[in-house]
Amino acid sequence: MRAAAPAREVARHVAIAGNPNCGKSTIFNTLTGLRQKVGNYPGVTVEKKTGRFFGSHGEPMELLDLPGSYSLQVRSPDEAVARDVLLGRQADVPRPDVIICVVDASNLERNLYLVAQMLELQIPAVVALNMADVAEKNGVVIDLMGLREKLGVPVIPMVATKGVGFIELRQAVSRSPLPPPAICAQMPIVLEREVMALARSLQVAPEVARGEALLLLTLHDQALEEVAHHERPVIVATLEAQKRLRLAGFDPLSAPVEARYEWIGEVCGAALHKGSVLDAHSITDRLDAVLTHRVWGWLAFLGMMTLMFFCIFTVAQTPMDWLDGACTAFAGWVGAHLPESDVRSLLTDGVIAGVGRVVVFLPQILILYFFLGILEDTGYMARAAFIMDRLMSRVGLHGKSFIPMLSSFACAIPGIMATRTIENRKDRLVTILVAPLMSCSARLPVYALMIAVLIPGASGLAKAGIMLCMYLIGIIAAFAMAWFFKTRILKGETPMLLLEMPPYRMPAFRGVAIRMWERAGLFLRRAGTVILALSILLWALATYPKPADEHASPAEALAHSVAGRMGHLIEPAIAPLGYDWKIGIGLIGSFAAREVFVSTMSIVYNVETKGKEDIEPLRDTMIAEKRADGSPVFTPLVCIGLMVFYVLAMQCISTVAIVRRETNSWRWPLVQIAYMTLLAWIGAFIVYQGGRLLGFQ
Amino acid sequence: MSPLLDQILVAASVGAALGWFAWRFFRRRARGKACASDCGCGTKKPLG
Repeated sequence: MRAAAPAREVARHVAIAGNPNCGKSTIFNTLTGLRQKVGNYPGVTVEKKTGRFFGSHGEPMELLDLPGSYSLQVRSPDEAVARDVLLGRQADVPRPDVIICVVDASNLERNLYLVAQMLELQIPAVVALNMADVAEKNGVVIDLMGLREKLGVPVIPMVATKGVGFIELRQAVSRSPLPPPAICAQMPIVLEREVMALARSLQVAPEVARGEALLLLTLHDQALEEVAHHERPVIVATLEAQKRLRLAGFDPLSAPVEARYEWIGEVCGAALHKGSVLDAHSITDRLDAVLTHRVWGWLAFLGMMTLMFFCIFTVAQTPMDWLDGACTAFAGWVGAHLPESDVRSLLTDGVIAGVGRVVVFLPQILILYFFLGILEDTGYMARAAFIMDRLMSRVGLHGKSFIPMLSSFACAIPGIMATRTIENRKDRLVTILVAPLMSCSARLPVYALMIAVLIPGASGLAKAGIMLCMYLIGIIAAFAMAWFFKTRILKGETPMLLLEMPPYRMPAFRGVAIRMWERAGLFLRRAGTVILALSILLWALATYPKPADEHASPAEALAHSVAGRMGHLIEPAIAPLGYDWKIGIGLIGSFAAREVFVSTMSIVYNVETKGKEDIEPLRDTMIAEKRADGSPVFTPLVCIGLMVFYVLAMQCISTVAIVRRETNSWRWPLVQIAYMTLLAWIGAFIVYQGGRLLGFQ
Repeated sequence: MSPLLDQILVAASVGAALGWFAWRFFRRRARGKACASDCGCGTKKPLG
């Protein structure tokens, strides 16, 4: 997908706009054939996305999916994107020729506010009345002819998830000529006079001047002072116009809003008929009584997490065994067909051990994405944010921050991008700083390996319990650090949570399956590129230079290599955590990506045991690993400490890059790397030394 | 396998791995891809 409009010829530029969670991205995906992420909670789209589709006569059109917004008076960065595109303020995107105003038919009254503002922009519009089936189920009857007449634009009833209404939508968008809206909310005469006078003084395209003037007049003093896209005389003229309106008995901030609501009242009075109450609502209400309950809500949350991890360990075990067996057999086959040489070692100890041992975790990652997809589609994510809000407000965080944090369970990068829905800059920054503490899918292979070493023969439930603890440690650490940042560095008041609770819906299993397929592709592509290249380099670092003594043991050769020397170099810093220099190699190797820890340990132990005929599973090698005094290296305290280290450490260069972009400075990513590394070291130190003080090993 | 061929193959593999990282870095810079991950977010926005 592209963010900038391409130079090639298209018949029309079409923008999709509407309230959050009304189905804009579903319509975008169906029209363009693309697969932008969709979910049953507000704030999934935070950046504009473009694609191409064809009108009903085969004419190519550029389609722009805008982030959801309740009005053009923006409060958060994602809403600003929609406003700027519609007003033609973005240099890289042409002003749209047509707007598809997506409206949730089951919430018509609320959705019409944005429609009212869009009609004021004088851009030809088509109203897509989405979720018509939900409205019908809820007993809402909409008089389509009445609505068309009142709005003065085409209105297309749709059920986007089932593909209903797309033919009519294409026809409506392709209609030529498509006149600008003739009807919009009538402002009081005094206000209209001031709007038109201000519009004439603006140096913008005539068709957007009125909309711009209306937006300026509804800004309060402080917001006006922060306006950067108009000259100072325009701001002064706006302030004077506001003064005149107040003298005439009009509040310039609320008068346009009241006029729009009055108009919405008229439209709904003529076209909307609400029936009796509704099964869907009562089911949602009944479920919410449990899932958002003060006690049961938490138990349900923990229960769902436990079930997810239990499935990760039990259901994934068989395919993981197959993959592991295939890797071992392949390494054995390569070993048997190549003579003793460095190339053979590179292939078996480097490439197959490095890439293969990470690919083995694919089934677990797919199960994680299956559960996350189901939770997103059903609408549970918004409930999880709601129950977390009580806790989050105590640490000074906005409840909205939990949606980016939940997204970070999959990957911190979309999580950090999702912080654009947070209006307050300081709250957004705090959320960006703590989001990588939530355990992402890249940590899963590390946890799974260490749990397998820690309790090799234990039940799936016991393993799931430990995994759940690691996720909870991440959540608690995120809250604690958010409290620290909010009370020490980024002080500010905790805003109230205003979050739309979407109704529960049946998950779209096809969509979940497509997302799992895409994740599998991305994971394998990453294994075949980044991890493969890193494995080759790590193998070389763990092999060269070779010791002068040809009869040196593999362990001595490893110690003599560059990787061995690097491990020895950082050993004094990690010895208090119970780690030896070989684990140090793993920590260095995984600095850019956490999952590379598994590859690195696999390469290190394979290089060290070079010459053995069979390649043992990494877990068994690690369990058997001994220190110089004969004691095991991977004691329970070391295993737990390593997991805690990976819960808290940054170890992800991609996240650093995205934080740099979102904060537009190197200061915050560097602060983040420093505090997370320190936190990880302290966490692992407390586990190891504290555990030893208590008599554990 | 001859030791020379062995060393050439290893050096070529290591060189290819290093070259791939360099190519990836410069390609991303040229394309202005800011989301440096393979997370699937689809973001392609100029840096800065």
